[in-house]
Amino acid sequence: MKNKIITVIFIGYIFAIFILNIVIKDIDISYSERRYLTKLSKITITNIFNGTIFDNFEDYATDQFVFRDNFRKLKVYTIFKVFNEKDYNNLYIDDKYIYKIEYPLNINSINNFTNKINFLYEKYLDGMNVFYSIIPDKNYYVDNNYLKIDYNKLFHIVINSMDKNISYIDITDCLDISDFYYTDAHWRQERLADVVDKISANMNFNITNNYQISSYKPFYGSYYGQILINSSIDEIKYLTNNYIEKATVYDYSSDLVKVYETEMLGSVDSYDVFLGGATPLIEIYNNGASTNKELVIFRDSFASSLAPLLIDGYKKITLIDLRYLDSDLLNEYISFSNQDILFLYNTTIINNSNVLKINVN
Amino acid sequence: MVFSSITFIYYFLPIVIFCYFIVPKKFKNFILLLCSLFFYFFGEKEYIVILLLSCLINFFSAIIIDKFPKCRKIFLILAISFNLILLGYFKYTNFLIDNINKVFNSNISLLNIVLPLGISFFTFQTLSYVIDVYNNKVKADYNFINFTCYVALFPQLVAGPIVRYSDISSELRDRKVTIDTFSSGVKRFIIGLTKKVIIANSIGEMINILNILDNPSVLSYVIVAIGFTYQIYFDFSGYSDMAIGLGRMFGFHFPENFNYPFISKNVTDFWRRWHISLSSFFKDYIYIPLGGNKKNNIITIRNILIVWLLTGLWHGATWNFVLWGLFFGIILIIEKYLLKKFLNKHVIFSYIYTFIIILISFVIFNTENISDTIKFLSRMFALSNIPFINDVTMYYFKSYFVLLLISIISATPLIKLIYNKCQKVNHFIFDVLETIVLFGLLIINTAYLIDSSFNPFLYFRF
Repeated sequence: MKNKIITVIFIGYIFAIFILNIVIKDIDISYSERRYLTKLSKITITNIFNGTIFDNFEDYATDQFVFRDNFRKLKVYTIFKVFNEKDYNNLYIDDKYIYKIEYPLNINSINNFTNKINFLYEKYLDGMNVFYSIIPDKNYYVDNNYLKIDYNKLFHIVINSMDKNISYIDITDCLDISDFYYTDAHWRQERLADVVDKISANMNFNITNNYQISSYKPFYGSYYGQILINSSIDEIKYLTNNYIEKATVYDYSSDLVKVYETEMLGSVDSYDVFLGGATPLIEIYNNGASTNKELVIFRDSFASSLAPLLIDGYKKITLIDLRYLDSDLLNEYISFSNQDILFLYNTTIINNSNVLKINVN
Repeated sequence: MVFSSITFIYYFLPIVIFCYFIVPKKFKNFILLLCSLFFYFFGEKEYIVILLLSCLINFFSAIIIDKFPKCRKIFLILAISFNLILLGYFKYTNFLIDNINKVFNSNISLLNIVLPLGISFFTFQTLSYVIDVYNNKVKADYNFINFTCYVALFPQLVAGPIVRYSDISSELRDRKVTIDTFSSGVKRFIIGLTKKVIIANSIGEMINILNILDNPSVLSYVIVAIGFTYQIYFDFSGYSDMAIGLGRMFGFHFPENFNYPFISKNVTDFWRRWHISLSSFFKDYIYIPLGGNKKNNIITIRNILIVWLLTGLWHGATWNFVLWGLFFGIILIIEKYLLKKFLNKHVIFSYIYTFIIILISFVIFNTENISDTIKFLSRMFALSNIPFINDVTMYYFKSYFVLLLISIISATPLIKLIYNKCQKVNHFIFDVLETIVLFGLLIINTAYLIDSSFNPFLYFRF
C-alpha cells in the first residue's frame, strides 16, 4: 500500500508541476530578487548545436518555476531553522533588522580609497572647502556575535591617511540602528535631521528643518527579497518643503526633473524615489535660493536621500557617483572653482573601493 | 543535464516516464535509448558522435569475437586498443605533452581537447563488455539498440556506477517494473538527491568560504579537510543513489557503489566500501589477470602498485592523482604485510587511523599540486605558523556545526538501523511518516535547486 502511495504521489507531483510550469504564464520581473527573469529563447538550429538553447532552458526552468518565491522562502527557513546556520548568503536577521555581513576588513581597499580621494583633491580640488564624512553601515550599530569589520581600525586608517586639508565630519553619533530601514542597507531620510545639522554646522550653511512628510508602504528593501522570511516591512517616507518642491533636477543620463521620482514607489526598488536611483551625475537647482553657494557631493546611494535635505543651503548641488562616472571625465562635465565639496561614502564602499572609477596613475 | 536540476526532475523525467510506460514492451529500449542520447546531447553536443562510435565499434568487435574464433584475439586487442586510445587521447594527451615539455624543455603546444562527459565510465563499461565476451562470461549482444541502450543508459551514463553488461544483460532483454521496484527507485532517487543537493552542495559552499579566508587557522584547515571528505562522499554516493533509483524506476538493478565507507576499520576495508564498481573493475580486469596475490610477494606488491597507479590516473591526468593512487597503494601494501594484525587487535585505533588516512588522501585529491598538498597538510597538522583557532573560524564552525553533525551521522548506518527498528514497532505510523519525510525532502530539494548558484558534480570531471 505504501509503495502504491509513494508511486502515485511522485508521479502525480512531478506531472502536476510539469503541467503547471507549462500552463502558467511566464513572469517578466522578480520584484523580490530585483531582476528580470529568464525567458525562453526561440529554438533555432544554430542555438541547438551551439548549446545556448539548453543553457537558456536551464535558466528558464529555474527562473519560471511555479511558486518560486515560496520555494526560495522554504530554503531560507531550512537553512536557519533546520541547519541553524547563522547567515544566509551573508544576510542575517537580528531583532527585525536584516543585516549584511561585511567582512573581512580590507586594508588595501581602505588605503586605496584614501589614495583615490587624495588624488582627486590634488588634481581638482586644491584650495577649495573640502569635507568628508563616513556613513557606517548597519552592522556598526549592533552588538552581536556576527562577523563584522573592525570599524575603529577603518576610521583610524581613513582619518590618518586622508589629506589634512580635507576636513572630517564625524556623523557616527548622529545615527543609531533605528535610523536605518529594516529590510534595506540605507538610512531613513526622515531620521537624518541630526546628520544634516552636523554637516551644515561643519560646512557652515543654513538649513530650515521644516518638512511635510509623505510616505509609501510597503517598501521591500534590497535585503528583503534575498532572505524573504523577515516579517518586518518598511515604510518609505520622504520629506518635502518649498525649496524641494520648487527645485529642478538635471540628470545627465535620463530625463529626470523632480527630486522625488514618485513613480518609482512600488517599483523594483522604491528607494529610487530619491533622485531616481543610481546615476553618474545629477544637478539639483534651488530655484528659491537666497545664496549663490554651490555644493558638489562625491557620493554613493546614501546621498540620494540626504541631498534633498541640503537644497535650501545651496543654489546648486551636484551629485557625482564615481562608481558610474570615470574621474578622468570630470572636467568635461564640471568646472571646479569655489564650490563646497563633500565626499560622502558608506563603510561598505570604503572596504570595497575598487568600485570607484578613479585612476590614480 | 544533471540529475539534480529542475530541468531533469520536472521536465525530462516526466516526459521519459510518460513515453516509456505508454509504448509497447518491444519499443521500451528504443525509447530509453532516444531519451539517453538526448540527455547526453543536452550537455555534450559535440561528443555524442564519439559515444555512438564507441558503441558501434565495441558492438561489432564483440560480434566478431563471438562469431569468428580465429579472429577473436585480434579483435579483442583491437577493441581494447580503440577504447584505451579514445580514453588516452581525450584524457591524457595534454598531460603527456605538458610533461614532455617539462622534461625536455620543449615548447609543444597543448591541444584544445575537452574531455567528453562520462568517457571514463562508458569506456570502462565497453571494455568490460568485450573482455567478458572474449572470456565467454557473457554472450555478445546482436541487437544494436539493446547494446547502445546499455552503454548510453542515462541513469549511469555520465558518472556511473560502472555497470557491467553481465549485471543487466537479462534485464535489457526482459524486465518488469512493478509498483515495488518503481517506488523503491523513487525512494532511492530522493535520498540521493538529498545527499547531493542539501548536504554535499552545502558543505561545498562552506568549503568555498573557508578556502578564501584572509586569516585561516588550523581548525579551518581541519574543517575543510573533513568537509571535503564528506562532500565528495555525499556528492558521489548521492549521484550513485540517484542512478540506482532511476534504474529501478525503469526496471534495471545496478550494482551498489558505496557501503558506508567511513565506518571502515582499515584502508583495505575502505576500498571495499568506496566506489565499489571501480575497485572491482580494477580487481577483475587488471589485478587478477596480472596474477593477483597468487605468486610471490614481489609480484603481488608490483600488481598492487600498478592497480593503484592506474586508479589514480583514472581519476585525472595530474601528478596529484598519481600521488593519490600510489599513496593508497603503499598504505594497502603496509596494511597487508605489517599492520593487519595490529589493526585487528586495536579496534578504536584502527578507526582513527583509517579516518586520518582517508582525510590525508582527500587533501591530496583536492589540491592542485604537490606543493599545495604539503602546504595544506602542514597547516592542517599545526606545523606552520598560523593560529590554532580564531574568531572567524569559530563563527563558521558554529554556523555549519549542525550540517557537519548531520553529515557525519548520515554517513554511518545509524539512520538505517533506526529505520529498521521503527518499522518493527509500528508499521502503519512509520509508513505514513516515511512518506511525509520523503516528499518533504523532495520539496526542500526543489527549493534548494531553485535558489542555487552552487551545484557542481565532483565526479563529472573524471
